[in-house]
Amino acid sequence: MENDDLESEELDEFESEETDREIVVPGEVLTEDVEHFNPGRGTILNKERTKIIALNIGLKQIKKNYINVIPLRGFYTPRPGDKVIALVIDKNPVKYKLDINAKDTAILKPKNAVRRGKIKALRGGAPGSRRMEAEEFDIGDILVAKIISADRLNMPELTLVGKYLGKKEDGIVISIDPPKIPRIIGRNGSMIKLLKNLTKCNIFVTQNGRIWIKGENIEYERLLIDAINKIETEAHTVGLTDRMSQYIENEKQKRGIK
Amino acid sequence: MMNIKRVISTIEKNYIAENLKKGERVDGRGLWEYRKVNISHDVIASAEGSAQVDLGETKIITGIKYDVGEPFSDLPDEGVCTIMAELLPLASPLFERGPPDEQSIELARVVDRGIRHADCVQTKKLCIKENEAVYIIFVDMFVLNYAGNLIDAGGISALTALISSRIPEGEWKDGTLEWTGKYLNGKDIIKELPLVLTYGKIGDSIFLDPNLPEELVSDGSISISVTKDKIVSIQKSGSATFSIDEIKELTERSMELGKEIREKLDLWQYVVDK
Amino acid sequence: MPLIINDVYPEKLFREDGKRLDGRENNELRPIKMEVGVLSNADGSAYLEWGNNKIYAAVYGPREVHPHHLAKPDRGILRVFYRMATFSVFERKRPAPGRREKEISMIITDCIEPVLFLELYPGTAFEVFIEVMDADGGTRCASTTVAALALADAGVPMRSLVSSVAVGKIDGQLITDLSGIEDKAGEADLPCAITWFNDELSLLQFDGDMSLDELNESLSNARKALEKIHQIQSDALKRKYTSILEEVKEGDD
Repeated sequence: MENDDLESEELDEFESEETDREIVVPGEVLTEDVEHFNPGRGTILNKERTKIIALNIGLKQIKKNYINVIPLRGFYTPRPGDKVIALVIDKNPVKYKLDINAKDTAILKPKNAVRRGKIKALRGGAPGSRRMEAEEFDIGDILVAKIISADRLNMPELTLVGKYLGKKEDGIVISIDPPKIPRIIGRNGSMIKLLKNLTKCNIFVTQNGRIWIKGENIEYERLLIDAINKIETEAHTVGLTDRMSQYIENEKQKRGIK
Repeated sequence: MMNIKRVISTIEKNYIAENLKKGERVDGRGLWEYRKVNISHDVIASAEGSAQVDLGETKIITGIKYDVGEPFSDLPDEGVCTIMAELLPLASPLFERGPPDEQSIELARVVDRGIRHADCVQTKKLCIKENEAVYIIFVDMFVLNYAGNLIDAGGISALTALISSRIPEGEWKDGTLEWTGKYLNGKDIIKELPLVLTYGKIGDSIFLDPNLPEELVSDGSISISVTKDKIVSIQKSGSATFSIDEIKELTERSMELGKEIREKLDLWQYVVDK
Repeated sequence: MPLIINDVYPEKLFREDGKRLDGRENNELRPIKMEVGVLSNADGSAYLEWGNNKIYAAVYGPREVHPHHLAKPDRGILRVFYRMATFSVFERKRPAPGRREKEISMIITDCIEPVLFLELYPGTAFEVFIEVMDADGGTRCASTTVAALALADAGVPMRSLVSSVAVGKIDGQLITDLSGIEDKAGEADLPCAITWFNDELSLLQFDGDMSLDELNESLSNARKALEKIHQIQSDALKRKYTSILEEVKEGDD
């Protein structure tokens, strides 16, 4: 299972050379040279337009002539196109309500909850017409879904129509800080490939800070969970991919796993 | 695991339950193993006694305050020890502001009964003048972070706070209350050291010290308070049922574990000088 | 019945050597320690020790508003809940929130709101819970300071941090950072806070008596103290990450 929808821009942030290892805090002056630099992500111009200020706790980054702050902490804001891991928390005949780790609950309408590959010919319908059969879910089910729409007025809406989407029958879901998700994937997927190979686990990472995993046995799963927690803590450092490789090998030895 | 919501995912429930059947727990502990315990005593300057206990990520601070008042009419020569718990909204997205709810009342009562029936607090020593003036000791437990098993963490923090207390000693002189210039400390107030051990049950699997996901997924739990040679209190909670053999096994195990833990914690080290 | 020992206020608030009762100079702050990310469930959290004050702050949000009628359709709301533990004061405090706590909650909310971008989170709330576990003067200032830290730790976008301190007058002299005794037995108490993005006061209260000159001087003293406090806040936020950067560096060497 691949995570190919994430913009490659984001994936580079933590590891890119343009990112300073300087930690900045809200209100910190990033530059007073407003002639040469523009306020980018996570920054703002002060009222007098003489300084660029950080809005979040994060890493300072200078890209071309933009100053950005890569946030180290934050909450998930749903965007159309995002893949999310959702928990069904309520249902009624017209829709499902799901928790997606955002300020709003998301909804899923039955028409978007179709079973992959199950197509039913409509009786009495025009030749060749088909209807996808909607799958039924229960409260407590974990679904991998995609956000169709998310705006100020309405609850975010989800769909299960698409590759790799649908209900998870087993495994377990863990949560990390959403801003750290790109680090779990790594540049060109380098980190997630490493994790998969070394721990022999299936991993699915989504934008809302949730990660679904399933391994051969609990030993591998525990190792993977510890590795993910370590990446989360050290997301702002350099050389993390190599260090994780070392860490996992060392732990395998220590724990007596092959 | 996944962030705590009121609904726990079915796959997480299954994952925990299936692994427990094999004797495995997600955090790598044995079935009868406690998470890491950290105790700090005398942490609150304004309190007469205090303790912070971290059990895994569960954090509880307990403070002791005293007052002097009239005794209960049926116990004219005994002081009063009253235990209260607050599940602070800080501690979990599941906690709401407002007066103590069922969970906080249960926490307070289970800890209270374990202490009360163990002859732990020497209430007769807390009498200043029979019928007139006794100490009222307030043991207030504040939960700062909820990560499962508040009862055992609460029990240890309440006990440690009492042991580390230092209360001004009063005497009754010519109808008024006066200070002797001295203090009572934990050695005066506490005799026995009861420990409460809480077990979760999921299906047929029973295990000690549920962490948060385990607790939220449990069918029920049982808390057993023990001193070095007696069972002093039991509380079963939730919809789980326990066979008589299971109860026998758990009480026996609690006596053994209780001894081990009491030795390891060595709570008397937290007595402060008068 | 009275307690056995009573809370007595000393006659003089300065020692023979001219220092304050706890050994400080007039404009010296008490020792302050801050730490972020101390509570695992909260979206953001911070802990502060300021003299004998010990205060936890935790942030949850943005999340649904309860009761629902308080929600605003066009912007988010900030709710700060300041509470004191029963054992945080000399005489045990009743558990239920009193008027003072409600007033302080409101003041801190008003003080911090200007730095947030609430219009970005319509219909939701940011809730900040402040628990004073041990109190010794200036709790509203310490609480404001630690609350701002918890919001930053949660990753909530902020125009800047907010820092707060109380200045005042005891035994005729102007001082910075009143302790519990100085607060109770002194002549004037001026808690204040600065929102750094616009360099303005967002919390200001005054009780007591001062001349205009004294007031002006107090505000200047407050500003100097606030800059120090701001530095401590920034360091606490950064330390969580810089300590790991150092650890990793050492590991590599």
